[in-house]
Amino acid sequence: MIKVSNLSKRIGDVQALNDLSFEALDGQITGLLGPNGAGKTTCLRTVFGLLKPDNGHAEIDGIDVAQNPVAAKQQLGLFPDPFGLYERLTPREYISYFAELNGLSRKDAKNAAASVLGKLHMNDIADRKCKGFSQGQRMKTALAQAIVHEPTNIILDEPTRGLDVMSTRVLRDLLKDLKDAGHCVLFSSHVMQEVAALCDQVIVMAEGKVVAVGSPEQLCQQTGKTSLEDAFIELIGTDEGIAA
Amino acid sequence: MISTIITMVRKELTDAARDKRSVMAGLYYAIGAPLMMCGMFMLLIGQITSPEALNITISHSERAPDLVKFLASNEISQGDDADRKQIELIISEDYASNMANSLPAEITLIADNSNEKLQSSIRRLEKSLQVYSAEMGSLRLIARGIDPKVVQPLKVVVEDQATSDSKGGMILGVAIFMMVYAVFISGMNLAIDTSAGERERNSLALLLSHPVSTRDIVLAKIAAVTIFAMVGLILTLVISKIAYGFVPWQELGFSVNITPDFIALMLVIGLPISLMAAALQLFVSFMAKSFKEAQSYLTIVLIVPMMLSMAASYNIAPDTLQWLPISGQMQALIAFIKGQEIPMLQLALSSTTTVAIAIVLAFGMERSLKSEKIVFGL
Repeated sequence: MIKVSNLSKRIGDVQALNDLSFEALDGQITGLLGPNGAGKTTCLRTVFGLLKPDNGHAEIDGIDVAQNPVAAKQQLGLFPDPFGLYERLTPREYISYFAELNGLSRKDAKNAAASVLGKLHMNDIADRKCKGFSQGQRMKTALAQAIVHEPTNIILDEPTRGLDVMSTRVLRDLLKDLKDAGHCVLFSSHVMQEVAALCDQVIVMAEGKVVAVGSPEQLCQQTGKTSLEDAFIELIGTDEGIAA
Repeated sequence: MISTIITMVRKELTDAARDKRSVMAGLYYAIGAPLMMCGMFMLLIGQITSPEALNITISHSERAPDLVKFLASNEISQGDDADRKQIELIISEDYASNMANSLPAEITLIADNSNEKLQSSIRRLEKSLQVYSAEMGSLRLIARGIDPKVVQPLKVVVEDQATSDSKGGMILGVAIFMMVYAVFISGMNLAIDTSAGERERNSLALLLSHPVSTRDIVLAKIAAVTIFAMVGLILTLVISKIAYGFVPWQELGFSVNITPDFIALMLVIGLPISLMAAALQLFVSFMAKSFKEAQSYLTIVLIVPMMLSMAASYNIAPDTLQWLPISGQMQALIAFIKGQEIPMLQLALSSTTTVAIAIVLAFGMERSLKSEKIVFGL
């Protein structure tokens, strides 16, 4: 479970987060939906303790990130934007390295990496260096890194960017599997179809604030619109920054 | 915690070993520098042992053929017009007759004594003339049945106290400087790659979002860069040992030996320096926004240790420098080579300071990795 309460953060002259509060529950996929610059990435970075909030706090499974960052991060997997691959390592090395950093022994880390490589159908590229990988191969490697240590909470920052249909499907199926296994999945996106198709709960963000919370259907009902896209525009009051 | 650090060091080294740029940077220096030093010493020895021919103008040389022959045997002659020095020797008209009559035969030496560049040449010419004069005098005394020793009341015996190793100290000072500098060069590229490069490739934020403390990250990175620096140092020592075997030291009357004892001492002294070099390079690179920016900062920062070790090998302000980091260790190494006693107190103090600087820099890095500005390059 991921819970943020009253988060505020100022970056330079911009109030990136403005008293932001929400909860993402276990066994659910929660979408953080907002136009570009709404503060989605800032919010996720704060959850990871990479940015310090001016006010408020973030909790992972009840552990305060600011007070006990290492313990809190052990319950988290991150699919970052951008990916941050080590281009000179192979996916197998890359994935087992991060598994070891999460406290697995070397042997367990290797086994965990092997099993996640199989799950994502990556065995053909598992021992090639990441340099020169396609966007889809990079995505899979980063995704494998996020789930290799089986954290209860998985955070994905703009996971579908630049992916073709096949890769998007792999990702979508994996997120559903994770949800069915009882994990808490939180992802940020500005792609309506993605959010509508996957999310149990949508948190609509604009200018660092939560504008609305609910399932896609609830949001449509609330605004009296038929599509999530129309509901979204109604909620944030402008059509700025929406990707098709 | 220890196992996390080991995991990170292992990953950093695997990553670095596959980075051609990092490996080559270390290798070029470790192989190139000793060979260049070797070539330089060979040239230097060649110059010291065979004195250059001194070309001067000798007017009326036909009046004193014996003197001219004597000077020529000492490499002093008219030579080519082109490289003739501004020194003229005029032999007087009555030279031959005065010489025959045991009267002072006059020769005139014309040169600008205030010209620094001519000083040593003038002195060399004067000395040769005096030797010739003394030789002639002795011959005249012998012809008159007098032992020439009568006119030599003083016999000065010069005993050169310089042992053959201490003569080479100066040359070796330069060689040691080259070895100490290997520590700075070998790890430099890795230091930049693993800090500024890591941020440029966006993996720093990912690494920090995993459950590892910033202290472990800093320690692992310092350890990896230190290992690279030490490998570079070992390589440099091995190549130096082989290369210096080809330098014709015997022509100088002394030899420069890189003994196993020296290698061991160099490695022990080199470790704290490597630690400091690693911490310094990482610290500066983390402050830089990009790989290129870090490179340009580091070239400037590395002038400081270079100056310290240069100063030590050229004997500038030795009393102060022997207490300072890097120059203190350099002086201890030079003392060891000269066969003198190693100044233990100074060595201990300068090594401690070196390690202390490394620790302070490590703390600074730990703090900076908690700063949003550094992590995201804001």
